[in-house]
Amino acid sequence: MTQENKTTHDTIIQTQDLSLFYGDFQALHEISLSFAQREVTALIGPSGCGKSSFLRCLNRMNDLTAGTRSEGEVVFEGKNILGKKIDVVSLRRHIGMVFQKANPFPKSIYDNVAYGLVVNGLKNRSMVAARVEKSLKQAALWEEVKDRLNKPALGLSGGQQQRLCIARALAVEPEILLMDEPASALDPIATQKIEELILELKERYTIIIVTHNMQQASRVSDTTAFFYMGKLIEVGRTNALFTKPIKKETEDYITGRFG
Amino acid sequence: MIKARRRPHEWIGEGAAATAALITFALTLAIFGFMGWLAMPLLQGETLTTLFTSVWRPDRGQFGILPMAWGTLAVALPATLLAFPLSLGFACFATHLAPRRLRKTLKGLAGLMTGIPTVVYGFSAVFLLVPLIREMAGRGSGFSIIAAVLVLALLISPTMILILISAFEAVPQPWQRCFDSMGATPEETVWHLLFPLATRSMVGALLLGLGRAIGDTLIALMLAGNAVLAPTDPFGPARTLTSHIGLVMAADVESLEFRSVFACGLLLYLLIFVLTLLVRYLTRRPAA
Ligand SMILES: Nc1ncnc2c1ncn2[C@@H]1O[C@H](COP(=O)(O)OP(=O)(O)OP(=O)(O)O)[C@@H](O)[C@H]1O
Ligand SMILES: [Mg+2]
Repeated sequence: MTQENKTTHDTIIQTQDLSLFYGDFQALHEISLSFAQREVTALIGPSGCGKSSFLRCLNRMNDLTAGTRSEGEVVFEGKNILGKKIDVVSLRRHIGMVFQKANPFPKSIYDNVAYGLVVNGLKNRSMVAARVEKSLKQAALWEEVKDRLNKPALGLSGGQQQRLCIARALAVEPEILLMDEPASALDPIATQKIEELILELKERYTIIIVTHNMQQASRVSDTTAFFYMGKLIEVGRTNALFTKPIKKETEDYITGRFG
Repeated sequence: MIKARRRPHEWIGEGAAATAALITFALTLAIFGFMGWLAMPLLQGETLTTLFTSVWRPDRGQFGILPMAWGTLAVALPATLLAFPLSLGFACFATHLAPRRLRKTLKGLAGLMTGIPTVVYGFSAVFLLVPLIREMAGRGSGFSIIAAVLVLALLISPTMILILISAFEAVPQPWQRCFDSMGATPEETVWHLLFPLATRSMVGALLLGLGRAIGDTLIALMLAGNAVLAPTDPFGPARTLTSHIGLVMAADVESLEFRSVFACGLLLYLLIFVLTLLVRYLTRRPAA
């Protein structure tokens, strides 16, 4: 494993020998991986290799699936967040998530973003309004929706809906944003917008993104990690990993010889 | 031009559905008409004026069924108002708040409870609840409004719980996952996501519970004491429209007294009808 990803940035979250089991099936095998603050890390690998499972370990979403069990550690802010004493609810306020399929609530555009705030106890109307605007701006959606904030969110295009979901996640003001194939259901233009957005968000947030799209990984990420059959095969600076991969599996995958 | 040609199975299906709907509708109307017709002798002439009074003295030609109408409300409304929040709490608990392992058991329990015959509730209450109430009140027989209310609440809860559970489970998983990912507690998810999305079903559950409470005969008959009195004292007796019908019918089938039963039926009919309309109106939503 390369040490190249130890850059000037500080590590914000890291896993140590993380293993994950769905019942008897081991989906992740002793994965040690660290993520630098305000960088974009891409997780790539063939379908079923455990990318989503790994991502869900980072904010304990796997807890919601019956029969999961994990071993090893995930260290965030100096604490092992897999520990029993961790307040999962407040953890998820620090580590937000955007899902593959845009899933806006059947509410207005405004309400969709405000939801996370209200849920998190922000009641002051003008503060909510300000935070909604800020989040929509951060998600590069404000200009497109500012005149129809009270219209149903389901009336937006697929790409806009996904950016709305990003705005909704940002409203909670997380430090880390987990994205599971956020653009896989979108057309090239909408995808490009999401990619531009990711590069902007990187200024303030740490982003971990799962993608099947090699070009996308190379365009948006600083570091790339290649997973195969539940194991971390290789991790390194994106440029290096795509131009001269060390492991044969990585090379095969990125040159499209399998997967 | 492409002509829409209807295939046989289409119009057969449509026809069958329309016929079924028509028959149901006609039957409902027929029952209404039938009750009106049978109540006719009572609805004509002097006895009509006595119908909506509070004096039930058939021997003197006074057929006031108002006490029974109040009795029905005095038993059914509190029972529903008691059962609804309990059912809501149970349904939230069984779907979202309880530890995962417990949830299945709780849902099974609610299903099991719907299967218990009404008479078992009434029967157990006669031996367990009624003496307790007699002691607590320090007067009367214990056969009282409160006994009927408590048992009726228990009786209608499982149905409400099952409706509420299925309504909550119909809320799409991705939204619930999203709430989780925003750091919402289960309580917040229930409050901000489930309740707003399931309002209609919640009102539906309430209505159905109330309908069952109004329509139930056995519990009131066994536990409420059946005295023809305006219900004022929760520890005192009352007679509901349904138990009145049951009691009178068990005694005779010819007299004017018996005819008053149909007036009670009409009243019940109208009560449920108005209730249904009301809830329809309340839950009407502008098209999304
Ligand atoms: N809830 C679950 N129960 C049992 N096994 C699961 C569950 N979720 C995932 N798995 C298994 O864990 C392995 C990893 O799945 P995961 O969804 O993490 O893969 P992935 O890399 O995200 O795949 P994709 O690229 O197709 O999204 C797979 O073999 C999958 O079958
Ligand atoms: Mg996946």
